[in-house]
Amino acid sequence: MRQIALYGKGGIGKSTTSANLSAAFSEMDLDVMQIGCDPKHDSTRMLMHGRWIPTVLEQMYERKDLTAEDVIFTGFGGVRCVEAGGPEPGIGCAGRGIIATFQLLEKMKALYGNVVVYDVLGDVVCGGFAMPMRDGYAQEVYLVTSGELMSLYAANNICKAIARLSQRSTARCRLGGVICNSKNMDNERELVAEFAHRIGSNLVQFIPRDKAVQAAEVNQMTVIEHAPQSPQAEVYRELAKTILANEDLRIPKALELDELEHLAREYL
Amino acid sequence: MPENIYEARMAGCTLTGALSVACFIPGAVAVVHAPQGCVHQTFSILHAMANESDLWTVPEILVSDISDREVIFGGEERLSATLDTAAAKKPDLIVVVTSCVPETIGDDCGVICSRHPYADRIVYVPTSGFLGGSAKDGENAVLEALATHAPVREPVPGTVALIGEKNLESEADQNYAEVERLLNRLGLRVTVRFCRNCDYATLMQLGTAACFILRDDRAADAGKRIGERFGRPVISEFPHGLSGCLTFLRAAGEACGVVEERIAAAIAEETAYQGSMLEKFANLSGTAVFLGAEPFTGTAEVAREAIARLDMQESTDGFSIRLPFYLPIGTAGVEKMLYLWRRTVNNG
Repeated sequence: MRQIALYGKGGIGKSTTSANLSAAFSEMDLDVMQIGCDPKHDSTRMLMHGRWIPTVLEQMYERKDLTAEDVIFTGFGGVRCVEAGGPEPGIGCAGRGIIATFQLLEKMKALYGNVVVYDVLGDVVCGGFAMPMRDGYAQEVYLVTSGELMSLYAANNICKAIARLSQRSTARCRLGGVICNSKNMDNERELVAEFAHRIGSNLVQFIPRDKAVQAAEVNQMTVIEHAPQSPQAEVYRELAKTILANEDLRIPKALELDELEHLAREYL
Repeated sequence: MPENIYEARMAGCTLTGALSVACFIPGAVAVVHAPQGCVHQTFSILHAMANESDLWTVPEILVSDISDREVIFGGEERLSATLDTAAAKKPDLIVVVTSCVPETIGDDCGVICSRHPYADRIVYVPTSGFLGGSAKDGENAVLEALATHAPVREPVPGTVALIGEKNLESEADQNYAEVERLLNRLGLRVTVRFCRNCDYATLMQLGTAACFILRDDRAADAGKRIGERFGRPVISEFPHGLSGCLTFLRAAGEACGVVEERIAAAIAEETAYQGSMLEKFANLSGTAVFLGAEPFTGTAEVAREAIARLDMQESTDGFSIRLPFYLPIGTAGVEKMLYLWRRTVNNG
């Protein structure tokens, strides 16, 4: 079973990328599970045709007889969709919520299939959000970033978390590569590729900005489902193939802030 | 490695310190916003100490019982519901204290307390120990919060409030009796023992005392602020040792505006009283003793003063005598210590 986590700055397009990646995997006849690890619980919405599925956390304290069927919902292409959920903004501890979700899924023996895709909240804000990288869950992390400095900054921070966690004897988590979700900036591909190189990794996919993504979203579908013949759908399929073939997993070396800023200036 | 890794074990839990004050206020309910275990752990300690002090009161404690669910989604509703339960009992006061969890997850306990229909009788004291507090800080935080609840009033001449007597302290009442005896020599009377089983009505009288006397310097910072709030002089601790009693008489007399003649007379009376007390132990004169370990700073100094006054000697070959665990309070404390020594010298 391949377990893949997508991390990146909030709003960078992790959920869109994750959902399309899961959809592309499903087209390859793989048994796929996608777990949204964000209190916003909108990771799997496009796979579920706009449906907000009940989250694990909103149910686990209400129902003692909770089963895997109550928290796993089948979406497009047979992708099994799970949303961890979490507290409303400004209250409680969302990180603990992620840990509790993983503990429950583990107890239910719900983590199975050919590929599990974890779509994780913007940044590693606490130990809870590092959970997908710990304890042998996701073995490969892909950083989703654009060429914007703050997006690269968030990706760089996640490198620090991977490097830290990889020092543990039980850790199997490594960086699989960097995905550039383009914001249509000048020299963006080159900048992100250079960033990936400097942290000791590779740019595994450049996803161009395309109206097909917006069109699919307003129709509450993934691009793969809504516009299967579109060039954008092909990009996601390419990403899925690249990830499946990828064996180049590394421990990244995060950049110093000065170096990161200098790099961003170089490609302006 | 933390610098205070060895000393930290002496600091104790902030919640435990807070509850040692908060749950011994007659007519009040203590609400603890915490997981059950924190309260059980704390109360186990308090219960053991209460047994040792022959104190059989079972305090009214309600716990919000935070669990994983509240950690994830926030515990404010749970606190609110617990306050409802407490308020339904119509207590004189609700004292709300917290364990580490609410502060970690960001529960806004202050707002929940201030918006509750019973808010006028709720005293909220944040006592999350991981922020750097100790048991002492917990005690002081509750003392200060309760003192802030009492109104500022005109002082009644000749009255004194004792602040910070420990409810679970052994010999608390004997120590109180000794301090009261000394104050009586000055014509002063204790009107408030805050919070030695101090009910709400008594607490409200705190501001009428003309002078505040702290139980010990553990409460020095809180005591200073309480004194400033009410505009009263503060004496930092109960008297220890023979000369300490005389110093205390002068300090208390001056703080309360007692005339010099009366202060001098009180000191003379106490000096004579100490002399007659020491005469009872004259047979210890010339005895060599070896002082054991000092449990609290200051005890050895009190002991050495008594040794000097009785013409005893300190020697490693002398009788091994034990220092009192707590600092001896007043002349009576020294007398009790000397009884113990004589028993050791006579009986081994």
